[in-house]
Amino acid sequence: MKSREDEYRELFMAEALEAYDDMSRHLSELERAPDDKSVLNELFRLMHNLKSSARSMGHTAIGEVAHHLESLFGQVRASERQFTGSLVRVIFNGLDILGAMIRAVGANAEMPDSSGLLNLLDRAIAGEEVEVAVESETEEESGRKLELSDLVYIQVKKLDKLLNLVGELVIDRDRILTLAEELDSPALRATARHLFRISDDLQYSVMDARLVGVGTLLNRFPRVVRDVATSEGKEVELTMNGQDTQIDRNVLQVIADALLHLVRNAVSHGLETPAERVAAGKNPTGQLSLVALTEREDVLIQVSDDGKGIDTEVVRKKAIERGLTTAGVAANLDDQAVWSFLFEPGFSTASQVTDISGRGVGLDVVKRALDSLGGQLRVDSEPGKGTTFTLVLPTSIAVKGALLVELDGRAYAVALMHTDTVLSLQPAQFSVVGGLFVTHVQGRAVPVVPLAQLLLEEGDEPLPLASKDSLHGLQNVLIVNYNNRRLGLLVDKFVRQQNIVVKPLSKPLDHIDLFGGVTLLGSGQMCLVLDVPALTRLFLARRP
Amino acid sequence: MPEITDLFANSGRAAPAAAVPMVQLIVFKLGSEEYGIRIEQVKEVTVTPEVARMPKTPPFIKGIANLRGDIIAILDLEERFMLAPAGRPLPEKSFTLAVEAADYVLGLVVREVPRPLTMELSQIEPAPEFVQDGHQHDKYLEGIAKLPDGSIIIVLDMRKLLLPAEILKLSNAKASLPKN
Repeated sequence: MKSREDEYRELFMAEALEAYDDMSRHLSELERAPDDKSVLNELFRLMHNLKSSARSMGHTAIGEVAHHLESLFGQVRASERQFTGSLVRVIFNGLDILGAMIRAVGANAEMPDSSGLLNLLDRAIAGEEVEVAVESETEEESGRKLELSDLVYIQVKKLDKLLNLVGELVIDRDRILTLAEELDSPALRATARHLFRISDDLQYSVMDARLVGVGTLLNRFPRVVRDVATSEGKEVELTMNGQDTQIDRNVLQVIADALLHLVRNAVSHGLETPAERVAAGKNPTGQLSLVALTEREDVLIQVSDDGKGIDTEVVRKKAIERGLTTAGVAANLDDQAVWSFLFEPGFSTASQVTDISGRGVGLDVVKRALDSLGGQLRVDSEPGKGTTFTLVLPTSIAVKGALLVELDGRAYAVALMHTDTVLSLQPAQFSVVGGLFVTHVQGRAVPVVPLAQLLLEEGDEPLPLASKDSLHGLQNVLIVNYNNRRLGLLVDKFVRQQNIVVKPLSKPLDHIDLFGGVTLLGSGQMCLVLDVPALTRLFLARRP
Repeated sequence: MPEITDLFANSGRAAPAAAVPMVQLIVFKLGSEEYGIRIEQVKEVTVTPEVARMPKTPPFIKGIANLRGDIIAILDLEERFMLAPAGRPLPEKSFTLAVEAADYVLGLVVREVPRPLTMELSQIEPAPEFVQDGHQHDKYLEGIAKLPDGSIIIVLDMRKLLLPAEILKLSNAKASLPKN
């Protein structure tokens, strides 16, 4: 496996060689039509980009040559001079040497000496009539082998399709494995096991091809932070870490807006103004950090500020005002439970609406983005010390651990991310409180509702009052957890735990948010994937 | 299962004369009437695959099916157009037309084998206004085709059938009605 550094070098090479080839072509065109503005602009742009990427990769020598050539193009573009005579030869020569330098990077060889060229270019820029020494014409474009890049660009759509197909393959593979066991044929079983290994490798390879560095997203943030800080009158120092952490490109796409929201929020609400900070005995410059890291199967992205922290009491008060909870209940909630109200739709503690954030859309947007991925959002905050939001993201969106439960003869899948525990309880272990079944899990009261009532019965009216007469024999309870709220679901049967490949529901059924998608079981049966966040919301809306 | 192109090859119709604009329909029976959909809007015709009932949808949505890796909704238009009582189980054997409606694919369940039909475009007349039922399927009616033998085919425009907003509206409307 290649190191990150090798991969970056390859990326640079691919870009640089492509730019070099394009520039060679454009330069030939320009020689024929020296007044073509569009070709000149394109040359200028390509050279400028090459300069920037060479410098950011630490290839300063290439950057220098590109900078000089860019200046010359600039002069021609500004009509300060004509692209004719000796200038043509100087620029062609410069580009040839630039090409040799780029190839030297690719071959990990020593960089050709460019001091003579730079000297020449300097004089040309100063307006001198210069001529290329004959000996440097030896390495001609015509004498060099034609090479194609080692990299191909590919549309994400094509990778999506590939991933989808692999998902189907894995499902069929599982079906064949089951069949091999049932038929008890050693030959079939051996083949099935081989198929298992190959498809596992294939799945891994496809998922690997979709990985990008978190840095591709994080690198946008220095500018965002600067802009927000300027308009809010704050001083912010941004530190970033773990840009190399690998994650599925689509996961990154889904959380891009959420992360933007968190960063803006941290600058405009988390961090104080320089005056406030000095008054609190802090450095006037606020610290903001964006860190990505891998934890087991997950990728964590943390947004931390050293600002004033979350005022738990304000959140508690607001939650009561908004009717999200009652004063009696709120008084006994711990900090984490209170903070989870921040993720409720329309909850915003900012009393002042600013241009940047706090327009009523709040952290619920972030929460929803994470829910859609099966991710989690954690908050940690200390008054006066700062706040950290942690996004817990799956590395890949393809495969999810799920628990299959049966209801009314059909299987439903629940993502393991949202399941706490499963219990088998006697009717005596339930009590009825306020029309709801309640049982105790680890010393805490948890409401329990028959899943069939939520899922299969139509209507928006409150659920019927619970009655213990309806419980006979052992009850299977699945405890799910969403945003620190635990809910027990009565199901007919627990089937098994397995990895599933979730297919999205297509229109017009995709708006039914109770279902996160469909998965195909080994038996070929379709199985709906229950969305615990939506199920929890439905329960809250319909509780008696 | 027959592909559309095969159906056409078997229909034995001559290529239309260049000057007359022709239209190709897939014709199927709903209730006692014949309905047609332009062939461009039909992706394929197959024997109905296994259909899984989907909770929280109106009864005329029979559920979802896996069609070559795509999960699509399966509809019973007879129930949708109130030509049959709601919530019937699917028959043992039926056919599904995968149609392109708006920007997604839907499956329409029919009980008899659909057939292809080519006719002159001018044979399709816009539906007279009084035929159109104010809140039902008027929006999806492209027109009515009169055949030489005197029978008629109701031509539907799939692109206007069942927009997502309409399903939402329907399921809400149903929720407020007393249960039968």
